[in-house]
Amino acid sequence: MKKKTNATKSKAPNKVAIRQMPTGVRGLDDILGGGIPEFSFNIIAGTPGCGKTTLAHQIVFANATAKKPALYFTVLGEPAMKMLRYQQQYSFFDADKLGAAIRFINVADVVMEKDLDAVFQEIAKQVAAVGPSIVVVDSFRTVVRKVLNSAGELEMQSFVQRLAQFLTGWEATTFLVGEYVQEEIRDNPVFTIADGLIWLSQVAERNSVVRKLQIMKLRGQGSVPGLHTIRISDGGLQAFSRTLGLVGRKERPARQRRLSIGIPELDSMLGGGILEGDSLLIAGPSGTGKSALATQFIAEGLRRGEAGIMAIFEERPQGYADRAENFGLDLETPRRKGKLEILYLRPLDLSVDETMQEILDAIERVGAKRLVIDSLVGFEMALAPGFRADFRESLYRMIGALTGAGVTILSTVEVEDTFTALAFSHYTISFLTDDIIRMRYVEIDGQLRKVMMVVKMRGGNHSKDIREYVITDKGVVIIHPRQTDYAGLTTGQPTRSGQHNESAPEPKATK
Amino acid sequence: MSRATPQMRDFAGRLIAYEKGGPKSSEDKTPVAFHVCEKLRPHLATLAGKAGFRALLSRALAVASAEVPWLRAVQVEADGALGGWDDSNAQGNPEEMEEGCVLLVAQLLGLLVAFIGEDLTLRLVREAWPKLALNDLDSEDKNEKEN
Repeated sequence: MKKKTNATKSKAPNKVAIRQMPTGVRGLDDILGGGIPEFSFNIIAGTPGCGKTTLAHQIVFANATAKKPALYFTVLGEPAMKMLRYQQQYSFFDADKLGAAIRFINVADVVMEKDLDAVFQEIAKQVAAVGPSIVVVDSFRTVVRKVLNSAGELEMQSFVQRLAQFLTGWEATTFLVGEYVQEEIRDNPVFTIADGLIWLSQVAERNSVVRKLQIMKLRGQGSVPGLHTIRISDGGLQAFSRTLGLVGRKERPARQRRLSIGIPELDSMLGGGILEGDSLLIAGPSGTGKSALATQFIAEGLRRGEAGIMAIFEERPQGYADRAENFGLDLETPRRKGKLEILYLRPLDLSVDETMQEILDAIERVGAKRLVIDSLVGFEMALAPGFRADFRESLYRMIGALTGAGVTILSTVEVEDTFTALAFSHYTISFLTDDIIRMRYVEIDGQLRKVMMVVKMRGGNHSKDIREYVITDKGVVIIHPRQTDYAGLTTGQPTRSGQHNESAPEPKATK
Repeated sequence: MSRATPQMRDFAGRLIAYEKGGPKSSEDKTPVAFHVCEKLRPHLATLAGKAGFRALLSRALAVASAEVPWLRAVQVEADGALGGWDDSNAQGNPEEMEEGCVLLVAQLLGLLVAFIGEDLTLRLVREAWPKLALNDLDSEDKNEKEN
């Protein structure tokens, strides 16, 4: 006999399921909490040049079909002819959709020559004839201006209310596109009636301009709050959630493999290599071989069949590959075979989020296991000034996202050597990394020599030795432990505490 | 700047020839270009608005008039229709009449191609003449010769 468990349990409320419409904008659905709620009445607002029309087009082209068409009403803003001229430059633009799936209708004449009721009737007539799943009015602001000039605020509110009810009743998801400034939000009834408000803006700082997106309002679902970076490229808009990397992190396996860095002595110092999934920071002044070491790390991975990514900011990929060749490391062949990508990220107006996205995409493309970021200083310089203030926080998210993607990261950072202290990085970011190797210059016997030490290794024990190394045509080479003892090596000006007759690792000038 | 390239003239010529073959009163002496423009008008006005269509046609007419004198009498009315024509104008040289028609339509289509590209222009023309077979701006004969 069946147990009557269901009857005794309290029934879960039978909530309406609100379907979500994809926006076609990469990253935006995540920010919206899944997509645009079906049959919602939305506003895409912002100042001129923010990408409002492009966003509306992208949504329309992503969703409209002959069976579920879209109506795009143009008013007094950008005429449809011009819109088509410019929007066809984007890769999402599909001319085959024009006509049956997407219809552009210019209602400027009705707006200019007739009253509000006629505007409503014209829109209603077209909607009733076509039965669209999406309706866009661009620019709605011009309709509103006309209304405010000829009628009162109440009449406008009634018009918007009527339009919203009609379009929702006809099962259309609506987007009103308009140029607004933030001060208008409080008093404008359009914003009260709207279910969703997507706000686009351009933030200028010094010579850099960054586009931002904010979901100011979205009824019925949780969106990600805050300002998110957007970029407009040939593919249209792409959005980068400010929480990118904080969600969906993978847990590290309980037993991590150790990855060879390509320098046996250094592997030993690290207790057998870098723990897979770790983030290793190589800190040192200019010329100490940070990039060489990073290249050796990638090359060793490639030798073992592990694909890699090098995100570089200070040098072009070809220059980087040529320099690797001087160390006998071939980066060209794996690049051709798709096992290695050297990403040269265009400088000056980057955001951390889009850099992260580019790297994550590349990791997925090549199935990378190892990643080099060379260097953090170059990365910071490549950012738009507005993002530099949040660099530490952003880096924390980025490293979390990248190690969460299963890669082992080696980042380099340039630090200035003082001859009194041993700094690890001027960002105070050492807490972000699992492991730190410090390289530095020391003055010994009239020579400026190089030493390295493992400062931190979160996942296990490591050598405490300070080892001298040289850079040869094989890259970074750690030389045999020297017999001479020194004190104060970390200050850069050591004193000899034992005397042994040892030759310098690299020839010393003689008279 | 004239946009009546040989290709555009050829395309305009095909539309005019097609339109000539359509039903028309024997007493109607209105140039065929007027009918062509009139057929395009609602489709273009939906996209560009009445004012937008009027602006395009005015520009096409201005450029074409510089080459064909009889077009100087023609005007674009406020609603975008072509006016200023009466049957007494039809006494002119038939070759010149034909040339003016081709030139005006070629200029209008050329402007459209410059603004929205060949693909979308063809789409608009197909909407206006759904029975006319058009794959691209080149005539079928030319395509066959090239193939």
